[in-house]
Amino acid sequence: MNKRILMSGNEALAEGAIRAGCRYYFGYPITPQSEIAAYMARRMREVEGIFLQAESELAAINMVYGAASAGARTMTSSSGPGISLKQEGISYLAGAELPAVVVNVMRGGPGLGNIAPSQSDYFQATRGGGHGDYHLVVLAPSSVQEMADLTYLAFDLADKYRNPMMILADAILGQMMEGVKFKNGVKDIPGKKWAIGGARGRDANIIRSLYLQEGVLEEHNRHLQEKYARMRSQEVRYESFAAKDADLLIIAYGSMARLSMEVVNKLREKGVKAGLLRPISLWPFPYTAIKRLISGVKFIFVVEMSEGQMLEDVKLAVGSQVPVYFYGRLGGGVPTPLEIMEKIESLLKNRI
Amino acid sequence: MVTIDDYQGQVTAWCPGCGDFGILQALKKALVDLKLEPHQVLIVSGIGQASKLPHYMKCNTFNGLHGRILPVATGAKIANQELVVIGVGGDGDNYGEGGNHFLHTIRRNIDITLLVHNNRVYGLTKGQASPTSDPGFISKVQPQGVISSSFNALSLAISLHASFVSRSWSGDIDHLSWLIKEAVQHKGFSLIDILQPCITFNKKNTYRWYKERIYKLAEEYDPANRLAAFKKAEEWGDKIPIGIFYREKKPTFADQLFGLKKGPLFRQRLDPSQVMPLLETLS
Repeated sequence: MNKRILMSGNEALAEGAIRAGCRYYFGYPITPQSEIAAYMARRMREVEGIFLQAESELAAINMVYGAASAGARTMTSSSGPGISLKQEGISYLAGAELPAVVVNVMRGGPGLGNIAPSQSDYFQATRGGGHGDYHLVVLAPSSVQEMADLTYLAFDLADKYRNPMMILADAILGQMMEGVKFKNGVKDIPGKKWAIGGARGRDANIIRSLYLQEGVLEEHNRHLQEKYARMRSQEVRYESFAAKDADLLIIAYGSMARLSMEVVNKLREKGVKAGLLRPISLWPFPYTAIKRLISGVKFIFVVEMSEGQMLEDVKLAVGSQVPVYFYGRLGGGVPTPLEIMEKIESLLKNRI
Repeated sequence: MVTIDDYQGQVTAWCPGCGDFGILQALKKALVDLKLEPHQVLIVSGIGQASKLPHYMKCNTFNGLHGRILPVATGAKIANQELVVIGVGGDGDNYGEGGNHFLHTIRRNIDITLLVHNNRVYGLTKGQASPTSDPGFISKVQPQGVISSSFNALSLAISLHASFVSRSWSGDIDHLSWLIKEAVQHKGFSLIDILQPCITFNKKNTYRWYKERIYKLAEEYDPANRLAAFKKAEEWGDKIPIGIFYREKKPTFADQLFGLKKGPLFRQRLDPSQVMPLLETLS
């Protein structure tokens, strides 16, 4: 089946997970991602998988913890407040080196906030969120197609590294509909020798994140850091658009990259050499790619639906080489391309 | 004289015809009948359609986290025993996300009243099954019907020796407001499980469905009899009883705390000089 199907981002993400061999979904209702659960409830019956609506987000992430330890491809999804509740479990998954996929369809915060689109969970996703020295690979889709593709990829990466992965989307991407094509479903998922599942004839597999003996936890952490170093060198993903000859480089991710692409086109029509860089992996962040791109760039403009969270990573990449400007909307506010254009044009005027 | 108008809050955002309106009306009526002024009352809620209720009241209100009504209410009541503290939330809020807190607040016997708007469905997130949905209940997320058994809050509360266990429904404002008055005046943890139609997402448990089944516990029913209470709490189906199922007199959490005997924490002033004799014994 390789037809293009019209679907919402939430549904495409769920189908992507099914195609990747996910057969265990645990969730709890929260807007704007409840369509993932509804889709899973229907599809898991067809593929003889398990859909379970838990009594809370804590229960759901711990069910993921259990299913992952038994060797299954498993996931949970939520939005802001629910993702905060899952952080304890995510830390344990990272500590116990278990593969799983956690989806955050971001909404406005802090607190209960609202149900409008936002990108204000960037720090939480890329800097940890839970306790301890750990990282998730954080993938940021910017189309319905990518909601499916990156989720599919996340399951492979989770198994490759034995580490939880996060899909960081937002309410726009979850709710909007576009045509999407799906890869064929995976046939065989490689066996997991470390999983718990009967130890007859072999040593017991033990899943834990507790290491009390002196020095053992430090050694475990060094092992984790080596793994994160491999992720840093192998899992950086980004896309650039009209960036080669750009004087002005916009850097944005997710739904804001979509908007920014229109801004680039409009600026080009007006004779401004604008380009776009879109990080796809937010952790590991494409520091080197940005460094390479900015040699000819006169200034950088970061757009986010937050107070400037990815902005910090951009500044880390750029240093003092090129001035970095920022425009953000808060608390569920969504900028229009026109609004971003005006900001950039007034900036250009003042600089001349 | 306090009137219903004194408790008038913001404009409501519930569906027209929602059972929540009956509960809001009954609550205001009960508070006015008890001659409680808005400043004497604290309403604590979580997240859900029911938990919007404090917005529609004018008194002390606290709209907190999903499932965490009872910890917040506990903290507030311990700090200020003079407040009449009423927790409000739905079945998902109290029996799902907050289920653990429900157990332990009952054990502590905090002197608060909990109103559970039990519409047996998640309304705010648009129609998923809740802990109290009937087995077989079909929704977008439970297309094959609910396969877990339904949460019986009354039986559970009685098994934990909750000091006041009751049920009413949103379609009988006189009964519900009477029950709220009884619960608020009761010293200790009071549960009112309030059956409530959700006209948008629960097409099974409708006004008519409840009307055909609900009856009031008889005058001679003895709420001190725990076994009889269990029996009544297990009654469900063609006949659904409402009223006070179980009542037990026992000391509240605050009654047993030395530190609270002198009155509410917020009235107690720190007097560093009182520490001096203790310090001297150490020197």
